[in-house]
Amino acid sequence: MAGVLVFGDTVGGELTPVSLEVATAGAGLADALGESLLGALIGDDLAVATREFRGGFSSLYLVEDKHYRPYTAQAYLNAAQKVIEACSPSVVLFAHTLGTREWVPRLAAHLDTGLVMDCTVLAAEGKDLVVTKPVYGGGILGEFVVRGGPRMATVRSAVFDPSSAAVATEVVRLDVPVPAPGRVTFVDEATVAAAGGLKLKDAKIIVSGGRGLGGKDNWHFIEETAAALGAAVGCSRPVVDSGWVPSSHQVGLSGTCVTPDLYIAVGISGAVQHLAGISAAKTVIAINMDREADIFTRANYGVVGDFREVLPAFVERIKQLRS
Amino acid sequence: MNILVTLKQVANPDISPSHIQLDPAGKRIVSPFGIPPVMNGYDANALEEALRLREKHGGKVTALGLGDDTSRESLKCAIAMGADTAILINDPDLLNADSAGVGRALAAAIRKIDDFDLILCGRQASDTDGGQVLHWIAETLDLPAVSPIVRIEAVDGRHLTVHRLIEDGYQRLRVELPALLGVSSEINEPRFPTMRGTMAAGRAMIPGWKASDLGLQPFTPKVELRQLQIQLRTSKADLIEGNSAAEQGAALANKLHDLGLI
Ligand SMILES: Cc1cc2nc3c(=O)[nH]c(=O)nc-3n(C[C@H](O)[C@H](O)[C@H](O)COP(=O)(O)OP(=O)(O)OC[C@H]3O[C@@H](n4cnc5c(N)ncnc54)[C@H](O)[C@@H]3O)c2cc1C
Ligand SMILES: Nc1ncnc2c1ncn2[C@@H]1O[C@H](COP(=O)(O)O)[C@@H](O)[C@H]1O
Repeated sequence: MAGVLVFGDTVGGELTPVSLEVATAGAGLADALGESLLGALIGDDLAVATREFRGGFSSLYLVEDKHYRPYTAQAYLNAAQKVIEACSPSVVLFAHTLGTREWVPRLAAHLDTGLVMDCTVLAAEGKDLVVTKPVYGGGILGEFVVRGGPRMATVRSAVFDPSSAAVATEVVRLDVPVPAPGRVTFVDEATVAAAGGLKLKDAKIIVSGGRGLGGKDNWHFIEETAAALGAAVGCSRPVVDSGWVPSSHQVGLSGTCVTPDLYIAVGISGAVQHLAGISAAKTVIAINMDREADIFTRANYGVVGDFREVLPAFVERIKQLRS
Repeated sequence: MNILVTLKQVANPDISPSHIQLDPAGKRIVSPFGIPPVMNGYDANALEEALRLREKHGGKVTALGLGDDTSRESLKCAIAMGADTAILINDPDLLNADSAGVGRALAAAIRKIDDFDLILCGRQASDTDGGQVLHWIAETLDLPAVSPIVRIEAVDGRHLTVHRLIEDGYQRLRVELPALLGVSSEINEPRFPTMRGTMAAGRAMIPGWKASDLGLQPFTPKVELRQLQIQLRTSKADLIEGNSAAEQGAALANKLHDLGLI
């Protein structure tokens, strides 16, 4: 077994930015282990993704078929297993996504090997893979030695810089027979449109509301502020659990890790599980009534006050400044 | 429909890192005095969903945990909420097991119980943030597994229709029973224990199973914790002052403008 294999992540045939970050993590490990770097993509219509998946891979394995859209765990699991059989890597890395959270642990169990998910540091010590991952919501870092063959890890987004290395010198297509329909069958998919059409992942500015908003009736304060700034709308978990907004807006450990230049947290206390999602935000602003709230230990600037008074004046002034 | 729910007892996830201490080996967290551990939040959602399914379709709900003796408290709480029975795997040899070890021990216990149509787990535990154990159970028992689930839409005969979270919405999947689901918090609001339930919990016998009861072979962990390190935040935000909240709001806008952020 040799080689560090990096699985890229695609959505609807498009390579997602985190794929290039995982490539960087993989390159570091391949260097340290003195092994080659390999890439892999599973999906439908991968022509563009193949050209965009930079990483300096000596080989890029492709499993391409209509069958891989929409995502189902069984199909991805089967395809990944075939890629691993084809190149027998010593280490396999994946992006940490809602998909890999489902099929990669099943793959690890199937291969009976070691896996740590949501890693922020990856290192080689001799032939050992040593990783760091936040635990207890993010308030504590755990360092783990990963064993088995191949050793596996998923990598948190917005931690590594995207790779700008060359595209693969060789593309290897694998013909993977489509597995028989399993005990889980796909019915359909419903997308819930993001407010204002802006996605959290790509947003430069995010206005995020928490339980402190007090109720769905007050959510317009967040939407109006976001609209004035051309920002995406985010939220903390209780807001999703209470049904004020759909899950796709949730920022944090069990939601999205975001990377905006400006993150405005309104009525959010700053629990570690929330902060886990904004560690890559450049400037954080907190608006909170409680001066002692933990959010002020992460925020660069803060306003201690009631959002019902702070936000209308803020929006008013933004509009003046922008006109 | 007979449902098995896996319940992990964890340190209260709301404890701020500044109040957490580590044991001398730096491998376990020690809850601050007076803050009792709790049932893992997603597992409470799994239990609630199981109770609702039982109310609609009949059957029984069994709670299964692996942990030290104190973990009986969470299992009693499960009975107080309405679970029919609870079983604890409490073998000191298993307390430091990795996801593979815990998953296989739970799977072995589930095989021994041998009376279920559906296994409901949490999508992840709030101490490990692992999200792995459920899949080790499913693989060991060769069951289909789907996670994270935000809704069980329909039950027809031997099939469930479930909503699984995707990045910008959800997918609907039809799952054949027996199956395992990883439950997310959107699915429901867990109920509180009732007085009747609490009395039942007081009387309940919760057996403690050992690795030998489960026929488990010794295993070598595939993932080994080397050490934990607490992340403390000490910085403080610059506060925007003003004579009124409205003045502060306007001053904040000016500040962001000066910084070139908007
Ligand atoms: C395993 C696990 C995963 C989790 N994942 C996530 C996640 O991905 N994302 C996430 O966000 N959370 C997550 N959580 C939940 C997290 O622990 C916190 O419970 C949650 O972030 C708290 O949300 P909040 O700050 O909105 O609410 P609260 O903690 O209730 O804070 C509300 C804040 O609003 C302030 N406030 C009240 N009224 C006003 C007012 N009028 N004006 C201004 N301020 C006001 C209060 O001072 C308070 O600070 C997770 C928890 C667990 C256990
Ligand atoms: N010790 C345990 N006892 C019972 N259930 C567990 C245990 N560990 C994990 N689980 C179940 O597996 C899920 C995922 O755990 P984890 O992989 O640790 O994040 C949890 O939400 C529980 O439902």
